[in-house]
Amino acid sequence: MKKINVIGLGNILFGDEGFGVEAVRRLEKECPDLSDTVQFIDGGTQGIYLLDYIESADAVLVYDAIIPPDFDRRIYVYADGELPAFIHRKMSSHQMGLSELFFVANLHGKVPEKVVLIGVPPRELELGSGISQAVEELLADAVEEGKRIINSFISD
Amino acid sequence: MAEKIVVDPIPRIEGHLRIEAQLGANNVIEDAFSSGTMWRGIEIILKGRDPRDAWAFAERICGVCTTVHALASVRCVEDALGIEIPKNARIIRNLMNATQQTQDHLVHFYHLHALDWVDVVSALKADPKEASRIAQSISPWPKSSPGYFKDLQQKLVGFVESGQLGIFSNGYWGHPAYKLPPEVNLIAVAHYLEALDFQKEIVKIHTVFGGKNPHPNYLVGGMACAIDPNRNTAINIETLSMVKKIIEETKTFIEQVYVPDLIAIAGFYKDWLYGGGLGNYLCYGDFPEKSVDDAASLLWPRGAILNKDLSTIYDVDPRDLGQVTEEVSHSWYTYSNGDDRGLHPWEGETRPEYTGPKPPFDYLDTDKKYSWLKAPRWKNSSMEVGPLARVLLAYAKGDAMITETVNMVLGKLEVGAEALFSTLGRTAARGVECLQTAGFMMRYYDQLVDNIKSGDLRTANTELWEPSRWPKEAKGFGYTEAPRGALGHWIHIKDGKIEDCQIVVPSTWNASPRDANGAVGAYESALRGTPMADPEQPLEILRTVHSFDPCLACASHVFDMNGNEITKVTIV
Repeated sequence: MKKINVIGLGNILFGDEGFGVEAVRRLEKECPDLSDTVQFIDGGTQGIYLLDYIESADAVLVYDAIIPPDFDRRIYVYADGELPAFIHRKMSSHQMGLSELFFVANLHGKVPEKVVLIGVPPRELELGSGISQAVEELLADAVEEGKRIINSFISD
Repeated sequence: MAEKIVVDPIPRIEGHLRIEAQLGANNVIEDAFSSGTMWRGIEIILKGRDPRDAWAFAERICGVCTTVHALASVRCVEDALGIEIPKNARIIRNLMNATQQTQDHLVHFYHLHALDWVDVVSALKADPKEASRIAQSISPWPKSSPGYFKDLQQKLVGFVESGQLGIFSNGYWGHPAYKLPPEVNLIAVAHYLEALDFQKEIVKIHTVFGGKNPHPNYLVGGMACAIDPNRNTAINIETLSMVKKIIEETKTFIEQVYVPDLIAIAGFYKDWLYGGGLGNYLCYGDFPEKSVDDAASLLWPRGAILNKDLSTIYDVDPRDLGQVTEEVSHSWYTYSNGDDRGLHPWEGETRPEYTGPKPPFDYLDTDKKYSWLKAPRWKNSSMEVGPLARVLLAYAKGDAMITETVNMVLGKLEVGAEALFSTLGRTAARGVECLQTAGFMMRYYDQLVDNIKSGDLRTANTELWEPSRWPKEAKGFGYTEAPRGALGHWIHIKDGKIEDCQIVVPSTWNASPRDANGAVGAYESALRGTPMADPEQPLEILRTVHSFDPCLACASHVFDMNGNEITKVTIV
C-alpha cells in the first residue's frame, strides 16, 4: 500500500503561523476513515527533523503559511516541480524551511513521487492571537482541497 | 569612518538575530552588537493557564528544542508542588534528553556549522582515491571506498551543472578563510549527507517513549508511556530491543564519523583560534541519578567558572534571588523599579516596549536599547552557556571520561588546553560531549531494563494531580541543560493557575546585549578581535556565532515562494 503523509507546518503560538497545523488537525478530525491509509503529522517548526516524514513517503501533502507572489485571499496549491527547492545561508539550524527539506531529500534520492503544498498567506502573526478571521474563512477550502488531493493520491 | 557590517538574517517576515560589527584597522572587528529582533513572549502565553498544560505550550517556544522546554516545564511544576517522580520516569527522561543532545549536536555540526569550515565547491576538484585513502586513515567507517567518493562527486557535479545548487547556492565558496584540501572537503560533504540521513533514526527513540514525534508527550508527575513487557501497545521487549539497536548505531556513527571528522577538519584550522570571548561559564547541570533536587547526583555538574580560571569552581544556586538576574537597560522592555536593576526570574516582569528605529533601517542605536533579549547575569557577570561551559566545568572537576576525551582531542591536534577558549574549542567541546551523551543513552537504557526486570513498571506519580491537593500558592524552579546551554523555568502558581512563569533560555545568555555597566554578552565578546578576510562575505562572523548554536530563529516558519535572501550583508 502507498504511504501517504500529511504534514502541517507552523507555530501555533503566532496567529496565522499556525495555519498548517490547524488545517491538519481539522482534516484528521473530519476524516477518521483515512487514519489507516494516511499519517497526519503536526510538524510544528521542526525543520530538518521532519526529513523522515518526507523521505519515507510515496506521497506528501503539506499545509503551511506562505508568502505567495501576489497575496490574494485564497488558498494556493503547488504541486511537485512548482515547489522551489532553494535554501539560504542560515544563522540557526532552526531556520529551515520546506524547500530545504526537499533539496536534501533530492540529494538523498528520496523525493516522494507526489508532493503537494496547500498554502495560505497569513493575515495576523500576533503572539497568542490564534487563527485570524480572514484565514479561518479559508480553512474549510483548504481542508476540502486536501481531501480531494488525498483521494487522488490513493487512486493514482 | 570605520566600516560597520550588518549581518541580519531576515527569515521572511520576521528577523531573529542581527549582528552589527564595527571594523577597525586591517578589517579586525573592534566591537560587535548582538540583537534579538523578535519578541517571543511565551511568558504572556503561559499566564493564567493550568500548570499541568504548561509544557505543551513551552515546547512550541522553540522550533526544534521541543523536549528540553517540556522537560524544564514539568520539572518546575513538580518542584513547586513537591512531586517526586518514579524511578522509571527519571530514567526515561534522562534517556530522551541524552537522545536529544546527541541528535542535536550531530545535526548542528553537519547541517549548520560544517559549511563554515568546509568548501563544498572545492570538493568537486577532489581526487576520490586520495579522499578514500584519507578517510580510511582516520576511521574504520566502512563507506570510504574510492568508488563511493567518486559516485558522490559525480552526483554533486550533476547538481551543479543542472543549476540546482540548492543548499550550496548561497555559500561563500572560494573564500580565503577556507583551508581544507579538496579531498577533506569531499569527505565532509559525504558525511554531511550521511548524517542528515542517519539522524532520522536517532529520534525514533522519542516516538517510543514520548508516544509521538515531533512534540513528544510529557506529564507532570512522570511520563505518559506505559511499560508492560508482555503487551503490544506498551513499551515491551520488542520496542526496547529496537531502542538498543538505534543506540548502538548512534554510538558507532559518533565514534567513527563525527569525532574523526571534527579532528581532521580542526587540524587545518589550528591557527584560527579566535572567538574565545568572555571566559565566564555557567552550568545548571543535568542528568540526575537521584532526585532532580539533588545537585550532587547530576552527571553533568552544576557550577560556574570566571575569567578562564579552571582552578576555582563557584557554587551556583538558581533559587538565590541574588544570583541569576535579568536587566533591561539595553532591551526593549521596562521594569517598574528601573531598567538597570536586575530582577531574579521569580520577581521578573515582562513588559515589552519597543523604542528602536522603525523598519526598514540601516542600523540600531546601540547606545540605547537595541534587542528583544533581556540581559541575564550571574552575580552581575555575563556568562557563556552550552557545550564549552559544560565540558570546561567537567574538565576542571576532573571528570574521567571528559578529561580523557578532551586530552585525546588536544593531543591529536597537538595544541594545549588554552586552545579550548576559542570558536573551535566550542565546536570541539560539542563533539566531545556528543560522544559522552551517546554513552549516556546506553547507560539509561541499561538502567531502564534493570529496573523493569526488578518488577518496577511505574512511570507516573499522580497523587498530586488534582489542583484541590495543591497549596494555595507555590513557586518552583525547573532546569535542564539544553543542547545549547543552561535553560531555566521559574514558575509561580496561585489558586491552581500560572500566576507567572519566567523562562531564561540559553541563547538569551549567549546573545545577550550589554547591561547597565556596559558589560557585553557572549557573542559580542567572542567577535571582538576577529580579523575578516573579506567584509562583504562575513564568514568569520557566522563561524563564531554558529559555534554557539544560536536558537534565535525559533518559532517562525513562513514559506517564501519568491526565494528571498535571508542573510543581508551591508557595508556602511
